[in-house]
Amino acid sequence: MTKPSIPLGLVFSRSGPYAMMGREMEKSALMAVDEVNQSEEFDFTFKPHLRDPGGIVRAYHTACDDLIREQQVDHIVGCYTSASRKQVIPIVERTERLLWHPARYEGFESSDNVIYVGAAPNHTVVPLVRHMLELVASDVFCVGSNYVWTWETNRVLREIVTSAGGRILAERLLELGETAVDHIVKEIIDRKPPAVFNTLVGESSYVFMRALYEASVRTRLSIPLLSCSLCEPELKMIGSSASVGCITSSAYFESIGGAENRAFVARWKARHGTDSHVSVDGQSTYVCVMLLARAIRRAGSANVAAVRRAAANHRYDSPQGPVWVDPDNNHCFLTPRLARSIPGCQFKIFWESDAPERPDPYLSDLDLTAIGARLEKMADAVGKRPNHLRVVK
Amino acid sequence: MRDEREISIVRRQFGRLGMSVTETDPEQPIGPRPAIDVIVLDADGISIKSDVTPALKANVPVIALIGTETPSRLKWLLELRPASFLIKPLRSAGLYTALVVAFDCAQRRSEEAAHIEKLEGRIRSRRVVFAAVLRLMRRHALSEEDAFNLIRQTAMRHRTTVEQLSAEIIALGGMPNRGSRTA
Repeated sequence: MTKPSIPLGLVFSRSGPYAMMGREMEKSALMAVDEVNQSEEFDFTFKPHLRDPGGIVRAYHTACDDLIREQQVDHIVGCYTSASRKQVIPIVERTERLLWHPARYEGFESSDNVIYVGAAPNHTVVPLVRHMLELVASDVFCVGSNYVWTWETNRVLREIVTSAGGRILAERLLELGETAVDHIVKEIIDRKPPAVFNTLVGESSYVFMRALYEASVRTRLSIPLLSCSLCEPELKMIGSSASVGCITSSAYFESIGGAENRAFVARWKARHGTDSHVSVDGQSTYVCVMLLARAIRRAGSANVAAVRRAAANHRYDSPQGPVWVDPDNNHCFLTPRLARSIPGCQFKIFWESDAPERPDPYLSDLDLTAIGARLEKMADAVGKRPNHLRVVK
Repeated sequence: MRDEREISIVRRQFGRLGMSVTETDPEQPIGPRPAIDVIVLDADGISIKSDVTPALKANVPVIALIGTETPSRLKWLLELRPASFLIKPLRSAGLYTALVVAFDCAQRRSEEAAHIEKLEGRIRSRRVVFAAVLRLMRRHALSEEDAFNLIRQTAMRHRTTVEQLSAEIIALGGMPNRGSRTA
């Protein structure tokens, strides 16, 4: 007996400015679809319908409109940038469909028709800045791509840093795709900030990290670099030396221990080659498809309202650890982690949260006083205030 | 990034209201535009680091279209002092309300600005009034209260302001001739 087939929309830009990430995410989605289709645990199969909007914002609307009207798709996994998601939200809301969104984003949104599987800002930027203040520096130089992710991430950084008595030494922005980075690298080398926070994306980031590495070697400087978006396939593109040593915040690293992740990485490498790497967004796309499949199984139907109800609070032991949807805001409980990039295109995890953290897309639980109190306590514990902590109130 | 869908809704709806629409790129410098009653601004299309605010801070009321509700974007938007706003995606309903609110807000703002200007003028001329009071006190041996009352009553009779009359008192060295005023 053949299993009933459920149409599934996959909307990833395999071409255009962020094609590399789009391809990684699509590969992960298709791997999850194959696993669901071959598994006896599911009494249905997914029929994937692939769309490539080519990174063109308007094309996302067209692609989803076609998937919903022509292919009768109830569920779409896809989008990468916030601009693309904002194009899709009106149509999924109007037609009562679900968008399963794999990528981390800057928060301040909660649609009933989106399941946000990527990290919320309390999973990424908050732990990173806390770590920076406690152990790296209180003053920081920011460099980023000129768009909403950088603006909002830097705003959160500024709020936390200034409340702890630190300073934003500079905020230098480059247009998306811009690779003329020398003037910023020169400024960093001249001013020697105690830390650099990098929210550049894509090629801009790779060129910047290479240039900063070369300039640091030349001038024998070692300036800590922080990121909340760097992933393994990017380390490979940046190059073996320049990609090392970046303190990175993410809910997923390929090096996470545990049977689930080891088996997942092995399956990934068997499918895509031993020299390939899983990325945080790729893994998250896989989790999207799996969360959806499990919710459909639990609901006994692909009906959107039933699936949304079934997905709520339903724990899935994913490669990145336990994940479940918080029905209060449709974002996911995830485990924040901090790691340092090491040779071999890998991250060495040095901190992870004790338990999955409740998603807080509006940062309404952000407790600046608690961050300050922890810093005070640390300063007392070492007997004197560390040099980088000037005033902590 | 032009949002064609929103533009077409704005065009259609304003057309129904008998308004004409001109499109312009917000990042380009805007030339003189005497005939513009209201600006509809797609806030998402502009970098929050760009310096378009002076051009848009003119007296024309701004209706902001908001897609991204991040605090960094909203803070930038508040600098523009939008008279009204709408959340994207737009619908045919809502634009009319936004327009009415924007015009009302612009009207109140200009009234408040005029009121404040008047009050500031009064504060500025306090020195002049004080000097006029002093002069009448010395010249006619009046108390401060009587001198001020004299100025106030004369100003009322002449249908002018206390400040204006005070300026005349100082210019003429005394109370102007009653016959010289034909108000």
